[in-house]
Amino acid sequence: MGTSTLPILIVGSNVRNLELLAQFLKKEGYECISATKLEQFGQILAGEDRYGLALVDIAGFDRSIWGYCEQCSNQNIPLLIISPQQVTSIRQESMSHGAQGVLFKPLVVKELVNLVNSMILES
Amino acid sequence: MVQVAGSSEVISQQSLERLPTGIVGLDEILKGGFVAKRAYLLHGNPGSGKTTLGLHFLMAGAKRGDQALYITMGETEQQIRENASSVGFDLTGIKFLDLAPSPDFFAQLQSYDIFSPADVERDPTTERITAEVESLKPIRVFIDAMTHFRYLSSDDLQFRRQTHSFLRFLTDSGATVLFTSEYSDKQPDDDLQYMSDGIVRLDHEHDTRTISVTKFRGSDFIGGSHSLRLGAKGMEVFPRLVPTIETKQEFVTGILSSGIPELDEMVHGGLERGTVTILTGPTGVGKTTMGMQFMKEAAGRGERSVIYTFEEWTEALLRRSANINIPVAAMVERGTLSVVQIEPLRYSPDEFARMVRKDVEDNGASIVMIDSISGYRLSVRGEDLLRHIHALAKYLQSKNVAVILINEVDDIIGQFKATEIAASYMADNIIFFRYLEIHGELRRTLGVLKKRHSDFQKTMREYEITKYGIKVGKPLTEMRGILLGVPQIKE
Repeated sequence: MGTSTLPILIVGSNVRNLELLAQFLKKEGYECISATKLEQFGQILAGEDRYGLALVDIAGFDRSIWGYCEQCSNQNIPLLIISPQQVTSIRQESMSHGAQGVLFKPLVVKELVNLVNSMILES
Repeated sequence: MVQVAGSSEVISQQSLERLPTGIVGLDEILKGGFVAKRAYLLHGNPGSGKTTLGLHFLMAGAKRGDQALYITMGETEQQIRENASSVGFDLTGIKFLDLAPSPDFFAQLQSYDIFSPADVERDPTTERITAEVESLKPIRVFIDAMTHFRYLSSDDLQFRRQTHSFLRFLTDSGATVLFTSEYSDKQPDDDLQYMSDGIVRLDHEHDTRTISVTKFRGSDFIGGSHSLRLGAKGMEVFPRLVPTIETKQEFVTGILSSGIPELDEMVHGGLERGTVTILTGPTGVGKTTMGMQFMKEAAGRGERSVIYTFEEWTEALLRRSANINIPVAAMVERGTLSVVQIEPLRYSPDEFARMVRKDVEDNGASIVMIDSISGYRLSVRGEDLLRHIHALAKYLQSKNVAVILINEVDDIIGQFKATEIAASYMADNIIFFRYLEIHGELRRTLGVLKKRHSDFQKTMREYEITKYGIKVGKPLTEMRGILLGVPQIKE
């Protein structure tokens, strides 16, 4: 995947998780912008830059995260939610706040890369 | 002595390059050490001595100039160095590759859950090991513990393939590898056992530690479990004695006289070298004294004897002997006698056997006396002690040593019993001692019950222990019922 595509917005409260996510996506040729706090997430969305995909790890955030997820959806940024647990209610909540899909940890690198590639292509 | 084997096998075993383990007893079990460029599993519970064994192996290599690499996945290098220093280990020349998690890992900065460890850490870990091995070219590698790689594999098949490949990479690079495993009922290490070229098991139960080799590809080894001690000098291994058919043993024929003509007459000249003699009788009858009489005579010829005493303090033995004209103190001083007092419950049978072997092999001895069999059974830790003492006696026989075993029977008088512990089968000679009651007086008698290699006198004799020594009387031919303890004069 070339670097000419739009950057990917990655959001999560665990710094190491974001580092690893960015590291794997970088290997695939994607540029990543990360946010570890909700305010930071809000500021990025309020900016003028465009993003090809948002990957949001909801662990460690309160319910207000869903408001920012909706904002992504409103700005036509494809959204994937990453959840620590395989719980139906999280899946439903994610979909109702504009997510295209929900991934459960631990993520399988190959599957993630395939999914990201296909979503970026579609967008 | 290696059991008889096909000549081609013996030749191929001799041509295998061996790496000494740094532990004398273990090298003996492994017939010289680990076979070079192979990988061995050290299998044992926590605290069983796996790391200590690994350190001995690396130190032995470093000492002779081999590159030695310790790959740690659990304890940090600093912890290992501190523990090693507390037992006086010198780790100079050992290179560490510390793959243990840093303290930061606990903090959020390092911990993660988004990907599995297999995806995140396998590649960097592999790269670090590969780089280290390629730059150091180690001859000896110790990995503690290999099971950590299990968490870097996505499934069992991957773990198996990766471990196989990793061990192959190390051995192809010229290394001999020892690796440990952590296992439980839920997470067994059977796969690692299959993958290894050999398995050394370390067991620890109550106060008994043992080591055993359960697999050793391409080489003979001494089977069974052997005693192990973890102490101030690190690990010591005491190979068990297994009676084997000794071949080409040069027997020095000869008879050890007691120096008492009447007694020598009873045993057809004396006790043969390389035989086991049981002196059996009730307490206080003079069994130890009679054994020492043979030693006194041997000392007169400049030969050396050893007494392992389980029951009597050395001081008491010296004093008592001096009172009956057996100069034990002088014999000890001249080096013709060693009196070794055995502390209760300090030794396992293998440790005791090792001590005896070392004494015989390093210092030479014509006579070894174990005083007594029941003391041995009470003082030595472990089970099946009679079998162990049998193995020891057979070994000493093979070294042409005359073995004297002191056996105590409970009954002072009454129905005769040769021994009470079914030990007679191991004896070539049995001399028994009896108290007799004659006209209300307690008297001492002795007789010969068995002598495998010669004829012997079938009549009993009275004897006395005096300040001039042992005096043996004439045969008691005029009496009957001696063995019942209350003899009568024949009519």
